[in-house]
Amino acid sequence: MSDAVAEKPKAITSRHDPRFEVTLYKYIGVENSHTLEFYQSHGGYESAKKAITSMKPVDVVEEMKKSGIRGRGGAGFPTGLKWSFMPPVDGRQRYIVCNADESEPGSCKDRYVLEDDPHQLIEGMIIAGYAISATKGVLYIRGEYYLGYERLYKAIQDAKAAGLLGKNLFGTDFEYEIILHRGAGAYICGEESALMNSFEGFRANPRLKPPFPAQAGVYSLPTTVNNVTSLASAVHIIGKGADWFSGMGTDDSKGFHHVQVSGPAKRRGVYEVPMGISYREIIFDLAGGPTEEVKAFIPGGSSCPMFPFTDQYLDMPMEYASVAKAGSMLGTGGIMLIPQNKCMVDALYNVVRFYAHESCGKCTPCREGVSTWLPSMYKKMLAGLGEKGDLELLEDVSSNIRGRSFCPLADACIMPVQASIKHFRPEYEYIIEHGKSMYPRQSRWAD
Amino acid sequence: MKVKVNDVELDLAPGTSAIDAVFAAGYDVPYFCSQEYMSPIGACRMCLAVVGAPRKERDGSWTMDEATGQPKIFYFPNPMATCTTAIMEGMVIDTLSDVTKKAQGGMMEMHLINHPLDCPTCDKGGACELQDRAYEYGSGHSRFIFDKRHNEKHHALSELITLDRERCIHCKRCVRYFEEVPGDEVLDFIERGGHTFIGTVEEGLPSNFSGNITDICPVGALLDTTSRFRGRNWEYDHTRSTSLDDASGSAITIDARTGRIERIKAALNTQVNKNWIDDGTRFGHEYAASSDRIKTPMLRKNGKLEPVTWEEATLFISEKLKKLSDNQLGIALRSDATLEEGVAAKSLAEYLKTGQIDHYPRYASSVISANPASFNDLATAGAIFVMADATEEVPMVDLRIKDALKGVTPPTLMAHGVPIADLRLKERMPRKTNILSVAAPYRVDLMKYAAHSMVYPTGTEVEVLKQIIDASTDAGKALKESLSAAEKAVIVLGAFVLNSAEASKLADDLAKATGAKVMKLGAMANSFGLESQDVLPAKADYSYPNMLSGSAKALIVSGLNPAQNAEVAQALLKLELLVVHDLFENETTALAHVVLPAKSGYEKEGTVVNLEGRYLNVNPAPVDGGQAVDFTGFVKELGDALNERLEGRSVRSARRLLKKSLELDLSELPLEGTIASAKAGKVAGLKTNTSGNALLVPSMVRSEYLNRNAHLFASTGGNALRLHPADAASHNLSAHDVISVSVGGFKRRLSVQPSESVPEGMMLLPALPDQPVGLVQLDLNSIKKEQVALEVA
Amino acid sequence: MVELETLKPFFAERQDVLNEILGRYPDYGRRSAVMPLLWEVQREERQVNEARIHEIAEILGIQPTEVKGVMSFYSTYHEHAIGKYHLQICSTLACSLAGSDEMYDFISEETGLVNGETDRQGLFSIQKVECLGSCTTAPVLQVNDTYYERVGKSRCQTLLEAFRRGEMPEPWRERYGDNEGAEKAKPLQNTIKTGGNA
Ligand SMILES: Cc1cc2nc3c(=O)[nH]c(=O)nc-3n(C[C@H](O)[C@H](O)[C@H](O)COP(=O)(O)O)c2cc1C
Ligand code: SF4
Ligand code: FES
Repeated sequence: MSDAVAEKPKAITSRHDPRFEVTLYKYIGVENSHTLEFYQSHGGYESAKKAITSMKPVDVVEEMKKSGIRGRGGAGFPTGLKWSFMPPVDGRQRYIVCNADESEPGSCKDRYVLEDDPHQLIEGMIIAGYAISATKGVLYIRGEYYLGYERLYKAIQDAKAAGLLGKNLFGTDFEYEIILHRGAGAYICGEESALMNSFEGFRANPRLKPPFPAQAGVYSLPTTVNNVTSLASAVHIIGKGADWFSGMGTDDSKGFHHVQVSGPAKRRGVYEVPMGISYREIIFDLAGGPTEEVKAFIPGGSSCPMFPFTDQYLDMPMEYASVAKAGSMLGTGGIMLIPQNKCMVDALYNVVRFYAHESCGKCTPCREGVSTWLPSMYKKMLAGLGEKGDLELLEDVSSNIRGRSFCPLADACIMPVQASIKHFRPEYEYIIEHGKSMYPRQSRWAD
Repeated sequence: MKVKVNDVELDLAPGTSAIDAVFAAGYDVPYFCSQEYMSPIGACRMCLAVVGAPRKERDGSWTMDEATGQPKIFYFPNPMATCTTAIMEGMVIDTLSDVTKKAQGGMMEMHLINHPLDCPTCDKGGACELQDRAYEYGSGHSRFIFDKRHNEKHHALSELITLDRERCIHCKRCVRYFEEVPGDEVLDFIERGGHTFIGTVEEGLPSNFSGNITDICPVGALLDTTSRFRGRNWEYDHTRSTSLDDASGSAITIDARTGRIERIKAALNTQVNKNWIDDGTRFGHEYAASSDRIKTPMLRKNGKLEPVTWEEATLFISEKLKKLSDNQLGIALRSDATLEEGVAAKSLAEYLKTGQIDHYPRYASSVISANPASFNDLATAGAIFVMADATEEVPMVDLRIKDALKGVTPPTLMAHGVPIADLRLKERMPRKTNILSVAAPYRVDLMKYAAHSMVYPTGTEVEVLKQIIDASTDAGKALKESLSAAEKAVIVLGAFVLNSAEASKLADDLAKATGAKVMKLGAMANSFGLESQDVLPAKADYSYPNMLSGSAKALIVSGLNPAQNAEVAQALLKLELLVVHDLFENETTALAHVVLPAKSGYEKEGTVVNLEGRYLNVNPAPVDGGQAVDFTGFVKELGDALNERLEGRSVRSARRLLKKSLELDLSELPLEGTIASAKAGKVAGLKTNTSGNALLVPSMVRSEYLNRNAHLFASTGGNALRLHPADAASHNLSAHDVISVSVGGFKRRLSVQPSESVPEGMMLLPALPDQPVGLVQLDLNSIKKEQVALEVA
Repeated sequence: MVELETLKPFFAERQDVLNEILGRYPDYGRRSAVMPLLWEVQREERQVNEARIHEIAEILGIQPTEVKGVMSFYSTYHEHAIGKYHLQICSTLACSLAGSDEMYDFISEETGLVNGETDRQGLFSIQKVECLGSCTTAPVLQVNDTYYERVGKSRCQTLLEAFRRGEMPEPWRERYGDNEGAEKAKPLQNTIKTGGNA
């Protein structure tokens, strides 16, 4: 790094920018990319080596802080800062947990890393482990990702055999091992404290905070939890430097993110994009635009309130602050298009049903409100039995749930409900008044 | 720490929960999941309130509110669950605002949407937290028009507890209780989300303290099966008393209706049992309402017992007594007799000039320690050595040891009592099992929770203790060191040690050497009190066993049944007078000249002294006992016949006497009782067997009443003969066989329970008041199978 | 239900598997093995019955009730046997927008089963599941551990026929985007349209 303060180049905020290069996802989908041989022949484990052999743990944390990366698991907490929350080393075992439970509807960015580039994740975990002085990593993968599990299992074995996991990594006295743990079908296990309960063999109810994981996480020991792409990003931040990473994005949001476009789009898929890119560029230019008329899009996974499909929202830069200001969240970057002729009440019933199914049942508003009452109300409306006052009741019950629950799952359900009422109230009113949807159900199944 | 609740300013200890701050301020906030003595978990979300606090600037000064010149209050964006929020300096809690009210009302509504409207047929009706809170915080009408969740309504979790799954509001108190209090995880949530329900795959909830969940369930989901559908809460008379089931002095509430006891609940004694009681105490009351109670005095006429008046009966007795010379009469009380009864018996003995007076069962050594440990000592001990089957002898000792394992000191009481949400308590706290060592002649329950346990050959207590005192084995040395090193160490001694004067002496030496306090587990509820009042024979020859084998010419026994022993029965035939004061006809009443109706422990008024030396009041529940009296009543009636106003002729008279000697007014004891120091009595030695093939062991379920406690009988399968599976096989016995067998001259009816926790070559069976803990010879040839266990192919 | 005939302990002949699983976790975290042990049984026996629950509890030194509490929390452990082909139809929004509701109806009709049922031969069982994390390749049909993505009607039919023959076709991966190999995901130059709802 030079001392001279050069003029700061303009940040990259578009895939059209020739300086942008797909990095984390570079080898996803490439044949054999999941093998150690492939990974190593493409520069694999160099970043970990660099970190362990030439940097102090605090330097790694500083580098992460400097990069400006925020967690990609949904909550968007600054990763470097989170790492610095670990208590001073006191001889107790410390853990880094990789949250690969990815179950937020609309999200599938982690899955491809797990399946096609497991070593990248392992390397990211080693770096994180080194940074926070944790010699054990826990990789919690959702149970349905069996291919990912198999590949990770093999990758860990291979890495161990190659001396990339275990004792004396890269000739130093740093040691590191990874415990691979499979979930079994419960969205709540994505919530970090529920994940820890699940891992420890308890029912996966979220835990009380404080204590936070850094004080008492896995087995009540100091722990840091990060998402798959947060950790994999560390490989490149350490490899290419924080400046490279923060050269992408806006002042508010740095680096790249992985958006997943689903719903009626021509080229549905996962795209690595610089932060600050507009939703329009993602939806039209990368994903090829909608295949049918669309009325709304969800910006970051089903829990993020939807936006109407209008210029105002499409031209909005994808950054934490702007999206929050507009009333939603960046979330996991799961962008879902909702077609014009899909009944919004029906669509929301689907969302509500998901959260109803996934509620852990610990607290009352979620168990009784989200898991019981809301779906009943939606079912009633969809069955054509809506009555005057039902919408107001729905709004009132929603307001009684929002902000009252033990963990954010209930809010994750209520926020989209409230957004749908805000933007598409006439559809609710229509179904209640006429006893049928404004947009009758039609087959959406391709041959 | 200064906090403000609405308009009330308070100064509270750091770490206090916001919900306790609200109650301390005299305001109310609804709650369901929080429960005294258990971890707050923030699950029900009823206790929401608007909460704010000031913030500090970087330089440590408060961020000020320009308008008021006061520190600016930053409110949390959402109402907070006050049970899981710790107070902060300057915190402001608002329980009266519209936001708070809407949050609480909304949560109340959600609690009710799936709750069945069966209050009219629910046992909890009138004492239901949900019902009460719905009145206070509910809207009065329901906006939930859908079918409520349907689920099993009469699910027998065990023989003793019935679950109505529809009523459950998922507060998790019951699940947490098992994990946090007894440490038996036998109940859990099954499924998730709206489908979540309470369930178990363990048969019959294997915990000795399962019944407490029926007390803490805030709704009628968990009910005591013995009392289900027997009455509405407002029809019951609630009497707070002290349990006479064991030496703990646990507080109970006796619920009676139309003259009979319907249920026993735990009452709060913060110093003793907190909110809990064991299952033996809770479910073991049915005998008292048994229809075959003796209701009137009876006199043997022409070989047959016939009902007579008290006058006639006592006249008969007095005539006989007058013919006796000094020291010919024996008087024996069971060891759960009250202090007042003890005083009455002593005064009678004095008047009749006899030194033959005793209480039984008792041990060869004193149960009063020179350096006694209290329950709170036990609960805060840094090292505990148990040489007993504590769980069976005094179950509360087991529970309070588990407090010590959690390492959380008993909470400081607040203006409103026990903190509702003690933030130091957590779910699944690690247990310091390392501080607990347990030694017993067979595997006892407590060993599951102890890092160090030892099963020694029966009768070798002396050797075991020597190894520790002499530090002659590694384990013994380690134990002695840990007892010495701990700031507070407690040694718990039960019958196996106390039965041997030599072992007791060694245990006392160990305590002295290590500085440990000692908790001695008395045989029965008032062993401590009766010994301290010297209800003891004037000399060893006058002890109760001796009275039975000829030292007495006449005998008055209360609550004891010596004729169960065939040999003793023969000897009793020779007595000039046999008076039996008891609840039921039995082997001894069959020989008695006079039979007198006694009060059960739920009907007496009096005082007992628990194993800490704590004086506790026993209060009578309004129960129809016919003409039953306690021993003071008997002394009054007899005094009338003798034309003598004897001391101790009433509870009041006995208390007058005791006030002088104790300097304690027993009619004005505080609810949690009073500890007064006491010296060991002159305990005359009792002979104990040093050999035998069977061991009589303590049992929290009182074996003498088990036949009349139908629910307990069903859940335990009756009095058990436990033996190693290999022994069972060699004696041709299989599980659930019901046998009758002669044990030390007693005919016992037992159900066979092979168990790995019994050492080979030893058989265990529950002790009786007349056949106390110790070795005994079981006559293998006398075994008769009454009922052969159903073989499952 | 506890089986009347005595079941052989599951792990008795699988000591190596058991040891491998227990060995993954630190000593103080023995209980963590509960999920992998349940998985092991579920994969082999297509269910976890009460006898196995007791066995796992015994191995881990915890109460059977706790094992049951954990097991029942998740949607992929089953109390009753699932079929040889366990058809899991994702029914969450992205899949629903791609026709998974119709796919469910179709499969239900073809197999004569409804959600949660297993046929008498033990060949098929069907389960509606929530988001499988394959939203960009909806609709998804997960069969046992295999994802079949972008399953159209005719493909669905072909798959069912294959299963009936006892075959398990190779799944293929049809994707767009960077998850198909970064090279192919270049932006479509100059295709940006203005205006949302045309
Ligand atoms: C209901 C709920 C579900 C969640 N699911 C996931 C998930 O599937 N994957 C994930 O990485 N984070 C998930 N999170 C966020 C995690 O709690 C946690 O914030 C995240 O893993 C931290 O990693 P990061 O800082 O790298 O984003 C979820 C949070 C909640 C409240
Ligand atoms: S059964 Fe009672 S104590 Fe247990 S969770 Fe339900 S309401 Fe609470
Ligand atoms: S959330 Fe239940 S008492 Fe606070």
